[in-house]
Amino acid sequence: MKPDVRARILDLAATYPTPKAALLTALETVQQAEGGHLSTDSLSEVAALLGVPLGTVYATASYYTMLNLKPVGKYHLQLDTNIPAMLAGAEDLLAHMEQALGIGVGETTSDGLFTLSAVEDLGACGTCPVLQVNDRYYENMTPACFDELLANLKQGVVPEWKTEGNWGTECNMLLARRGKPNSTALAGYVADGGYQALEKALTLSPAEVTQMVKDSGLRGRGGAGFPAGVKWGFLPKDSTKPVYLVCNADEGEPGTFKDRQIMEFDPHLVIEGMAISGYAIGAKLGYIYIRGEFAWIADILERAIAEAREAGKLGNNMLGRGVEFDIRVTRGAGAYVCGEETALIESLEGKRGNPRLRPPYPAVSGLFGCPTIVNNVETLSSVPFIVREGAEAFRQIGTANNAGPKIFGVSGHVKNPGAYEFPLGVPLAKVLEAAGGVVGNLKAVIVGGLSTPILTAEECRDLTLDYDTCAKYGTGLGSGGIMVMNDTVQIPAIALRTIQFYAHESCGQCTPCRQGSVAIEQMLHRVVEGKGTPEDLDNVLHLCKTIKGNTLCPTGDAFSMPIEAMVGKFRGEFEALLPKAGADLAV
Amino acid sequence: MDLKNPSCDTTRAPVSQQGGVCTLPDLEAPKVTVNIDGIDVEVVSGTTILEAANQIGVKIPTLCQHPDLAIAGVCRMCVVEVEGMRTLQASCAYPITGPMTIKTQSRRVRQARRHILDLLLRKHYGECYACVRNGVCELQSLAEEYGVDFFRFGHPTEPLYEVDTSSYSVHRDMNKCVLCRRCVRTCVDLQEVGVYEAVGRSNQTRIETFLEKPLADVVCINCGQCINRCPTGALRANDPSDEIWAAIDDPTKHVVMQTAPSPRAGIGECFGLEPGHALTFEMNTALRRCGFDKVFDTNFSADLTIIEEGTELIIRLKKALVDGDADVKLPQFTSCSPGWVKFIEHFYPEYLEHLSTAKSPQQMFGALIKTYYAQLTGIDPKDIVTVALMPCSAKKFECNRPEMVDSGFKDIDYGLTTRELGAMIKEAGIWLPDMPKSDFDDPFGTATGSGVIFGATGGVMEAALRTVIELVAGQKVENFYDHADIIPVRGFDGVKYAEITVPEVGPVPDLLKDLVPSWDFLKGATLKVGVAHGTANAKRVMEDIKAGGIFSQCHFIEFMACPGGCIGGGGQPIPTSPAIRAARAKAIYSEDAAYEVRKSHENPAVLKIYNEFLQDGPCSHLSHNLLHTHYTPRGKFIS
Repeated sequence: MKPDVRARILDLAATYPTPKAALLTALETVQQAEGGHLSTDSLSEVAALLGVPLGTVYATASYYTMLNLKPVGKYHLQLDTNIPAMLAGAEDLLAHMEQALGIGVGETTSDGLFTLSAVEDLGACGTCPVLQVNDRYYENMTPACFDELLANLKQGVVPEWKTEGNWGTECNMLLARRGKPNSTALAGYVADGGYQALEKALTLSPAEVTQMVKDSGLRGRGGAGFPAGVKWGFLPKDSTKPVYLVCNADEGEPGTFKDRQIMEFDPHLVIEGMAISGYAIGAKLGYIYIRGEFAWIADILERAIAEAREAGKLGNNMLGRGVEFDIRVTRGAGAYVCGEETALIESLEGKRGNPRLRPPYPAVSGLFGCPTIVNNVETLSSVPFIVREGAEAFRQIGTANNAGPKIFGVSGHVKNPGAYEFPLGVPLAKVLEAAGGVVGNLKAVIVGGLSTPILTAEECRDLTLDYDTCAKYGTGLGSGGIMVMNDTVQIPAIALRTIQFYAHESCGQCTPCRQGSVAIEQMLHRVVEGKGTPEDLDNVLHLCKTIKGNTLCPTGDAFSMPIEAMVGKFRGEFEALLPKAGADLAV
Repeated sequence: MDLKNPSCDTTRAPVSQQGGVCTLPDLEAPKVTVNIDGIDVEVVSGTTILEAANQIGVKIPTLCQHPDLAIAGVCRMCVVEVEGMRTLQASCAYPITGPMTIKTQSRRVRQARRHILDLLLRKHYGECYACVRNGVCELQSLAEEYGVDFFRFGHPTEPLYEVDTSSYSVHRDMNKCVLCRRCVRTCVDLQEVGVYEAVGRSNQTRIETFLEKPLADVVCINCGQCINRCPTGALRANDPSDEIWAAIDDPTKHVVMQTAPSPRAGIGECFGLEPGHALTFEMNTALRRCGFDKVFDTNFSADLTIIEEGTELIIRLKKALVDGDADVKLPQFTSCSPGWVKFIEHFYPEYLEHLSTAKSPQQMFGALIKTYYAQLTGIDPKDIVTVALMPCSAKKFECNRPEMVDSGFKDIDYGLTTRELGAMIKEAGIWLPDMPKSDFDDPFGTATGSGVIFGATGGVMEAALRTVIELVAGQKVENFYDHADIIPVRGFDGVKYAEITVPEVGPVPDLLKDLVPSWDFLKGATLKVGVAHGTANAKRVMEDIKAGGIFSQCHFIEFMACPGGCIGGGGQPIPTSPAIRAARAKAIYSEDAAYEVRKSHENPAVLKIYNEFLQDGPCSHLSHNLLHTHYTPRGKFIS
């Protein structure tokens, strides 16, 4: 290991209560420094450096898809093949890539230049298909684009390939600064009134700020819709331990690409939101846990944090008022489950992202056993407005129990897939219209990310997008990742792809999720291949019922509910795939 | 106790750091009444649903739960329905803090259990008939009890993984693993060795070592605690019984068995007896009926170990206190636990000179059988097969150490566990509890109570102290401790510390005269001793020593790799729990109390051997050749 890498790891380790917590970042750092994979020697060195058992180092490295235990080509080509990508033609693109490269998925070209991988959702559903080359995204890919990219890479040129996704806003809050030039710079943010909310918050007591957030009715935007101010209120009053604020930026739910819109184009909005929230809950340190694939966004955040710190907006004397709050960015390494708050905390502690048993809840015992509040990017980014304009102004947006704006990520069969900010309670039809309207005949919509039950065109005709109405319709607003499917889509194929995703992402801890997901996958695979039986469909439904509410974390619900809905609502399509009576099953 | 630099990770609260005994419920906490299956039960707030159900005889099935380990909540076998909650709750992990109504056998719960078993069996490969755990398998019992009638979600027809038989001690068959992670929690939390981890994720999750290396090539200390806590046959000891049967069947071989103290306290459990029934003398009869030519008591060599190890300590003390030798290493560490020896070789190799060079009782005995006993009986040592009945899986590794050949042969040919002997006895058609009693064979027949208590944590220390106090003070140890019971070093606290003052000294006994001319240097001295069991606790003591804490001031420290000491060894009957280990310990201490001779230096067989064979006395040239050994520094990081 090179001395500078060693030094970087040791410096990082010193920032944690225990050096072990630096494990995940250390592995990422070493991999990057040593040509894309982790050798046995580097695993041993990291173990020795941080005082972690070798078995634990290996276990951690093997958990995250971005950590490679085997050598990869100079260019690691990772094509997102999840459902939004599928709807945008990723399957054809993958076939084209295999042909162009002369290798299959999981293989490396003989010259050692290219490794091809088919990966899960990359958080670019509005700009699919998306190809990740090492740590760079190439969005809106087509076979022709790929050929051009490939030619460049073969020349050793890694081209710039900036794709501007579609977007729009009716609320001008979360995406207000999206179109502005150089929107990530502090100066522009301040010129637009940024950090005034922080100024104001610091003139109030933490309890007053918390009360404002409570009064605003802001509900968590990560998916559960739990009132943010109430969550803050769960912190123990008499704890002597430090309190941590964690910003969940592990955007990984297929169909979701909203948080990156804020972080990439308006990072100071998140930072200010965190500074205010940190002050309100008494935290001196906040972490942004961002999915590792968003490497360039993490860079943007780190630059913005440094700039804010330089300008006294963060640090041990925020705005000269003697309040301490700082932010560190930690990068994930490819694990969907780390979006679940306790798994995220484990990962922040440098471990495998295994969800924890609750109770205790993070508010009582979270990061390093200390009281911890985990909030989503979009939630925290809503806080500056609430403080600046007041809770009432926030409540004016949206509906009675569903206040404020929400970014909806629309993907699939619409003309202009993209990110659109509307008040909660907006009719689905209006969002689809903003996205240019449905291409073809609408068949079904998933409105809240892949973990929410699918709705038929009929069911969603009058749907308005807020937490309560979606629940009434038997689905969930979730993350607001809307996936639109027209009548060219076969639901059994979607169901199979859905369960493949969850079977791949299950952390593997608890039986129903680990074995149940793969059992369902096997049965649906049989059905889609035309070798299924009616019992397979019944067993899928039975198993979904068992798994629902019976796993250690919500991941079991996240696949049992949508699969149940797909099989239940489109059973005819599944049954049509079953072999006819008397047909030879042994094919 | 105030330890310096305690390295334990308290976030997962392994039971090891509470001395291997579960904490008592907080009696001050408020009481709550809950209704379970229509029965009201009052429990202390914080009691889990599972514990509450156990109190009223409602059985909830469990798999990943284990009384020695932190709660994992991963298998989901123990789910129950709580009124008003949408989701089923894992009863092992759900603390009761208010009134609630719980159903443990509703349709929903039964269906969930059945499906979980179906799902577990989906990946469990192996024929029950041909499994070491047939009849004592938790998965098998669950399948039987909870109505598995067919493999709803499939069942493997071929093995997926090769069985790892690389280790002398522990064999792993991951085809049978159900990912309960009890071995991981044992290895990482309870023992803090860290060989196993869950590797990969999703359905591809496996319990693995670093880079999937064979167990022989990683930092495994062979303690076998993982075997004791594995619910299936995925982990087992390396079983030599076929080779032993072959030796018994070979008329040219003279097969000699030595039996350690702990197996006799545990073997009854293999025959359905409650823990705590010692079957020492029934076992002697059974062994002879199985065909062993001689049955010796390891207690003999335990007493010998005390003399050798105690003498070594006295020599070290004299060097330090009288000769002013700055290089002498104190505290001296015990060396009879082979798991501990491998642990220190891996994790604290810089402290190897602190280890007593005395071999373990097993190995001393082997060396003497193939020399002294062979001479005495005129049997060619090459025809002698030495078998050691041990509560221990690490003893299998120990007898295969390349240096353990001081007799000119492999000192001990086979290490056999309590479980394996139980199976051999059954195979011979013998029902052990019904056996008549018979004594051990001469010339090593007579043992002392000191040898017996080697089996429990603190036992080696107590035995050593009985001898050292008596030899140094020149008066009965009973004058200092009632019935010679040295209570301060007994009990299941993870780490123990005691100070013993030597108020006056007596004459130096003949045996030691050549080594120490006078005891004067010990007059008024305070002997400081420590005891640790379980390697997590050993680690705490080692870290304390490193940091210059209280244990760095000790003269002598007993370390045992297994929680509870040898009675909780990796070769003992399954299951294990703090209560079971306590019952076995009780059996051992009762046996000690019943002995006429309870001090190692009074063992006539030991005195005889110093008269007849080791005539230059303890720690002499011959004793060094046969009874002492050296150690191997090993790395913590293996590439």
